[in-house]
Amino acid sequence: MDSAIEIMMILLMLSDMALLGLSRLRTCISIVSFQGMLLGLLALVTQFTALTPRLILIAAASFIIKGFVFPFLLRRGIREAGTQHEIQPYIGYIMSVIAGLVMLGVSFWLGTKLPLFTGNSSSSLIIPAALTTLFTGLFLIIARKNALNQCLGYIIMENGIYTFGIVSVVEIPLLVELGILLDVFVAVFVMGIAIYHINREFDHLDADRLNILKG
Amino acid sequence: MNYEIILWLLVLVPAISGLVCVVLPSHRTALGIMCTGVFGASLLGLTAVKSVLLGGATPFAAAGWLFMDALSAYHFFVMIIVFCLSSIYACVYFTEEHSRGHLTLKQIRLFTALWCEALAAMTVVLLSNNLGIMWVGIEATTLITAFLICVHVSRESLEAMWKYILICSVGVAFAFMGTLLVAASAKGADPGSANILLWTTLNANAARLNPVLIKVAFIFLLVGYGTKAGLAPMHSWLPDAHSQAPAPVSAIFSGFMLNAALYCIMRYVPIVEPATGNTSWGLHLIAGLGLMSIIIAAVFILFQTDLKRLLAYHSIEHLGIIALGLGLGGLGTFAALFHTFNHSLCKTLSFFAAGRLGQIFGSQDMEKMSGSLQVSPVWGTGIFCSILALIGIAPFALFMSEFQLLKAAVDNKAIISLVLFLLGAGVVFVGALGHAIPLAWGKPHQARQRIRTGTVEFMLVFAPLAVLLLLGLWMPETVSNALNTAADIIRHKGGTAVSLMEAKQ
Repeated sequence: MDSAIEIMMILLMLSDMALLGLSRLRTCISIVSFQGMLLGLLALVTQFTALTPRLILIAAASFIIKGFVFPFLLRRGIREAGTQHEIQPYIGYIMSVIAGLVMLGVSFWLGTKLPLFTGNSSSSLIIPAALTTLFTGLFLIIARKNALNQCLGYIIMENGIYTFGIVSVVEIPLLVELGILLDVFVAVFVMGIAIYHINREFDHLDADRLNILKG
Repeated sequence: MNYEIILWLLVLVPAISGLVCVVLPSHRTALGIMCTGVFGASLLGLTAVKSVLLGGATPFAAAGWLFMDALSAYHFFVMIIVFCLSSIYACVYFTEEHSRGHLTLKQIRLFTALWCEALAAMTVVLLSNNLGIMWVGIEATTLITAFLICVHVSRESLEAMWKYILICSVGVAFAFMGTLLVAASAKGADPGSANILLWTTLNANAARLNPVLIKVAFIFLLVGYGTKAGLAPMHSWLPDAHSQAPAPVSAIFSGFMLNAALYCIMRYVPIVEPATGNTSWGLHLIAGLGLMSIIIAAVFILFQTDLKRLLAYHSIEHLGIIALGLGLGGLGTFAALFHTFNHSLCKTLSFFAAGRLGQIFGSQDMEKMSGSLQVSPVWGTGIFCSILALIGIAPFALFMSEFQLLKAAVDNKAIISLVLFLLGAGVVFVGALGHAIPLAWGKPHQARQRIRTGTVEFMLVFAPLAVLLLLGLWMPETVSNALNTAADIIRHKGGTAVSLMEAKQ
């Protein structure tokens, strides 16, 4: 199964780079949906030899929520707001991809520094991939102005942490895992409602133009 | 009575009354049920707090997932004080808003429901022994209180809500990464149980955790929970959220929600310290963040024009002071916990006054609110005295806790901390006094009639002031003993919780 995990991790990193370089919101949402499904599968693949009902439940829940429910909510947001593209990001797309490559390098370096899984060769790509995804999400939140894009960044960041959680800590109790998933779900839901209200009140979704409050 | 049931009820009573509030027919019944829920949970909680702080018990429930030791009991006590006062005030405030037609029944129902759920979520944070569930509770408070900010939907409140939810969610996600890393650091140590995230287990095995991972974890935790606690430089959401939320909500934000996040950091201190070889590595980081918050808040306090924003920056300053005390250790831990109570009580009062005066004057601008003592003697006194207490005028309890903190700094020979703290406090003193004097005695912007205030409002102002004054002059021995027991847990001296838990396994 090691090669399967490695392929998944490479796909995860490639999807991060794609997210950094693409401007069409719909495509970005599709990629995030793909990431969600990938992570649902990853939970199963890493523990392929010892599948438990608990694991299957968590994998299925994250597969459905991250792969289908979030994209559905976000697409509805786009329809209501009528925005298709990020108009003028703080940091351009080419620069974003270059930054992504730097983050990739840093992640690999950090992966060697952290004393996780010594002597377990299969997971050599997992920590860098998880960190890259985390950084990508954070970068998108900072570098993009559109509120929908920031929400997308939050989901990507959460994906990174989730990847990290799957491989580094297997023993997290089911109740905690479900609580976390519920919280993330509600967070995206609440952000969706906020986006709806912002769009109605301001007629745009540019977070940088939300600047009445100062000082 | 069985404490296991009480711990469950503490979470369930507010959660259920919140659900009931959604379907009630009038604003009076909704506010009534909200108060019943809050006071019911508080009375139950008081019996548990009493047995923990005075009787030395450590009740567990739900197979060790819920527990109440001295540290959580103390914070729980602070929380119920803030929530009970704020609930009474919310009734006064929202009845006024409703009669002016600013709020519909639907909005009041939403408010009461979320209010109770927020209490339930914060109770989960305090009572949870499982660090994962603690994180879930903190994130839940963010999500629940997000809508409380924009009970009045306006451009400003939406902006504040968006900043709040995005910055806090991202910050708290960092804390989750930290929680995972703590779990990963325990994996190598192998405490020999599946309950790898239980605080009691980690606390007992702290010396065996992987030091490198625990350091990385603590940085993530500090950034994450520090964002929610409003420590600089992650504080940017705080003034916006505090100034836009309705006054009772600002009161619980400042009075307890920030402390709940800081409580999470306090929980990790006794784990991180032994794991890193008792070198005060983590404590120094906390003290650094605290000092930065004090200085940054002091600078911003000078230039505020909006009363609630001014109070919000005071919150950053005081959370910084608590963090500094925590970071100094020893007597500083005691001072930090004492300051938690003083600040929460005082800040609750000041937001009450700011909210009522805002309703009376129709604005939060301090220039337009000048001469508030003439217009409303009770609330004018409230805001003036609470600002005096906040800047550390002598007989109030906040002065005492800050004084103990200074003593702790001198004991530790932390000269830089001492100087920076005094500098920050001095700037705040001058700045806030410059705002407060015209606010109380200035010439009113336009001629207004004196506003009549009822007995309830009178009590809301003078009861907290009396308590602050009393605690400043004389601290009963039971109180200082209780504070010391709570502080001992942070200093990793409290053995009772650990031994009890091991007996259970």
